[in-house]
Amino acid sequence: MSEKKVNSTLVLMKNISKSFYGNKVNTDVEFKLEKGEIHALLGENGAGKTTLMNMLTGVYFPDEGSIYFKGKKITYNYPGEALKIGIGMVHQRFSLVGNLTVLENLILGHPDNKFILDLQKNRKLIQTYMDQFKFQVDLDAVVDELPLGLRQKVEILKMLVRNVDVLIVDEPTTVLTKQEADNLMRILKEIASTGKGIIFITHKMAEVLEVADKITVLRKGILVSTVNKTDTNAGELARMMVGKESELTFERPEVCLTKNFLQVKNLFVNSNKGVLAVNNLSFNLACGEVLGIAGVTGNGQIELANALTGNREVIRGKIIFKDKDIAHDTPVQRIDEGISYVPGDRVNVGVAGSRSVWENLIMKVYRKSEFKRGILIDNKKLKKYAEKIIEKYNIFLPGINLPALLLSGGNLQKLIIGREIERNCDLYIFVFPTRGLDVGATEFVRKSIMNLRNEGKAVLLISGDFDELFALSDRIAVMYEGKFTGVFNNGDHSLEEIGLMMSGHTEAEAVKEMSNV
Amino acid sequence: MFKIKLEQKERVSKREDIIITLSAIGIALVLSGIFIAFNGVNPFVALWKVFTSALGSPYGISETLVKAIPLIFTGLAVGIALNSKLWNIGAEGQLFAGATLATAFVIYGPVLPKPLELTVLVTLGAIGGALWAAIPALLKIKFKMNEVISTLLLNYVAINIADYFLFGPWKGKDNFPYTPEFPVEARFSRIGFGRVHAGLFLALALVVLLYILIYHTKTGYKLRMTGASLKAAKYAGINIKKMMFMVFLLSGALAGLAGVSQISGIEYKFHQHISTGYGYTGIIVAWLARTNPFIIVIFAVFLSIMLKGADSLQIAMRLPAAVGTVMQALILFAILGSELFKNYNIKLIRGK
Repeated sequence: MSEKKVNSTLVLMKNISKSFYGNKVNTDVEFKLEKGEIHALLGENGAGKTTLMNMLTGVYFPDEGSIYFKGKKITYNYPGEALKIGIGMVHQRFSLVGNLTVLENLILGHPDNKFILDLQKNRKLIQTYMDQFKFQVDLDAVVDELPLGLRQKVEILKMLVRNVDVLIVDEPTTVLTKQEADNLMRILKEIASTGKGIIFITHKMAEVLEVADKITVLRKGILVSTVNKTDTNAGELARMMVGKESELTFERPEVCLTKNFLQVKNLFVNSNKGVLAVNNLSFNLACGEVLGIAGVTGNGQIELANALTGNREVIRGKIIFKDKDIAHDTPVQRIDEGISYVPGDRVNVGVAGSRSVWENLIMKVYRKSEFKRGILIDNKKLKKYAEKIIEKYNIFLPGINLPALLLSGGNLQKLIIGREIERNCDLYIFVFPTRGLDVGATEFVRKSIMNLRNEGKAVLLISGDFDELFALSDRIAVMYEGKFTGVFNNGDHSLEEIGLMMSGHTEAEAVKEMSNV
Repeated sequence: MFKIKLEQKERVSKREDIIITLSAIGIALVLSGIFIAFNGVNPFVALWKVFTSALGSPYGISETLVKAIPLIFTGLAVGIALNSKLWNIGAEGQLFAGATLATAFVIYGPVLPKPLELTVLVTLGAIGGALWAAIPALLKIKFKMNEVISTLLLNYVAINIADYFLFGPWKGKDNFPYTPEFPVEARFSRIGFGRVHAGLFLALALVVLLYILIYHTKTGYKLRMTGASLKAAKYAGINIKKMMFMVFLLSGALAGLAGVSQISGIEYKFHQHISTGYGYTGIIVAWLARTNPFIIVIFAVFLSIMLKGADSLQIAMRLPAAVGTVMQALILFAILGSELFKNYNIKLIRGK
């Protein structure tokens, strides 16, 4: 790449600054993309990566600075113009029409199809693209029926068919399995080898080191550095991203000995579709203990959490919490009984995004007598309560009256966890608590979980992240098709053995299988 | 050549919101003017006439207030539902249901002392409206039926039921489809300003009560959260089905009060024309006011100026009766269109 330096620059963004309502989101950022390069844009949530790319694609206009594409200065008139000149972006939330086929999605709005739509011609054309970039998608499949990994391929193909020179992918692996992610990396390399430039927005260092040629690190909207992959390592990148070292070692003193703090007995729960999702499940959870639940998504973990919190009906079985069967209590009763729930879907379930930050912080305490004023509620006192949480948990936000949806992922999770910790419950249920979070926020969440445990709370941790499960759990249970295939002390089994249990082997089978190898 | 650039806004400030809404109303008035000009009338004279006829004399002001009273009720009715993102298009039908039930008591019940009689009528009006709203509420909660369609269609049913009584058992002595005049006990007192009646105080008291309910009570908090996100509300332990049902009943009750206020405050009898589409105009009022009860009063008065003004245009300038409807429609269109300016920054640039 380096020998043809002249005229090989695709994108140059110079001295870019942008603020929203007085918050600087990007300050004097410089960014350069060469032909055939995979350039990772690395930073924590809220570091300004997506905003920077939204300016490159014309969704926002920079307050200051200029953007050059192939040596020419560009100003956009409308967001669609970027795609026209050859800059395409695959967003975190896909923009496909679910009930159309892949082919129909690919040609939807394609500039070559004006009045007459020749499906065969289009099909052939798309096939040549798939051949060129060496990946295949079934063109006649309906998008809604495809797994997320394939839908993403369709998104990428949609950009390629429009002959973009620059392809931007925003946090592409968040929704993918490990295999799908590996496959994606291969495709991205293939695309780059044809001379196109790829910008890869992410906060995962492993991916960056695997796929990127160059890495630009942003922190709080400011450019930290742009480095070649060969000149750096994971430790250095982490330091650049968070500005501090993040090492997690936890002490786990014995704080509480009630083994049967929570007893689940022969629990049956249905899924949304009316299929049995939790199938005759029984387990105990002690206070001062973290029980980690591992498993492939969709094996009944979410239904279990919802049944424990009253958000899903229990068909049969008992949930004995503090010596009382609560299996058929309402959600609000469970809240009052001291059960706290940090849901996996932060944005849609954890908060009401269009309501203000303070209204979201009082979600579970507004009914308490301390906030009563006759038959009214004391808004002033409630706001003060909210402000206290914001200060204590260091939630960064412009004002408590602004809607919660303006918060970045990490700050939103701080809001939710702060809210739940302040309620001082006895049982905490976390579902994918660090999914999609940056290093700093992840550390905050994990420390919070550990503190809860050491204060004698019972914690149920449903997670797909093994670093997390191994770091936090006292015991680990592996869930497969609504049952536990194994429950054991953390450290008793290797990752490989757990992997086997996740695919349906019992604990004994898994150990036997591994010892045969 | 100029080109238009659209840029998404993170959020709109309060000041911008007000300016945009007022400009939209201004544009709607200009468009109304053009429509009036096509009818061969000087639009400036006509618009001037609208405002002078509505506000230029004590009589005009009193008549404007008379029209504002039912609009406050229906505006509140639609507004409280909008607070939890429910669309009650059925205020018109609930108004008739309330009026029908109250009238039944006047006709079949004993004549009570005035305070008692009026209390009964107001209560029955509210109950009638609430019962009528309970139907779409149950359909929505039990069968997930879209409330826009069910409330709208039930309007026609309610009006036809009222027609049955008016053309049947309640027909007046002279065979016209209206009830006999109500006794004095069943009439709201006038407050000494034209036809303005005590229903105004009831309406204003409800404005204050609803404001307190929405922003200063637990129920109000639940209502706001339910409106913002069903999933989050459920997660917060709120029984969303119960909330929806309650909101519908409250909304219907408020619309039913508009019916009572018309029969006991203005007409002193029940007939087919006790409402000139107040239930529908209430939707515009609520949408303009963005669900805040106090602002609902402002826009109820504003729209009653339009209604009163359009009446005068019809009489004084021989403009068609549709002028009033057209003006209302243009205002609603302009307001809906102005959403674009609230969600996007719009820049004009020279070039290409």
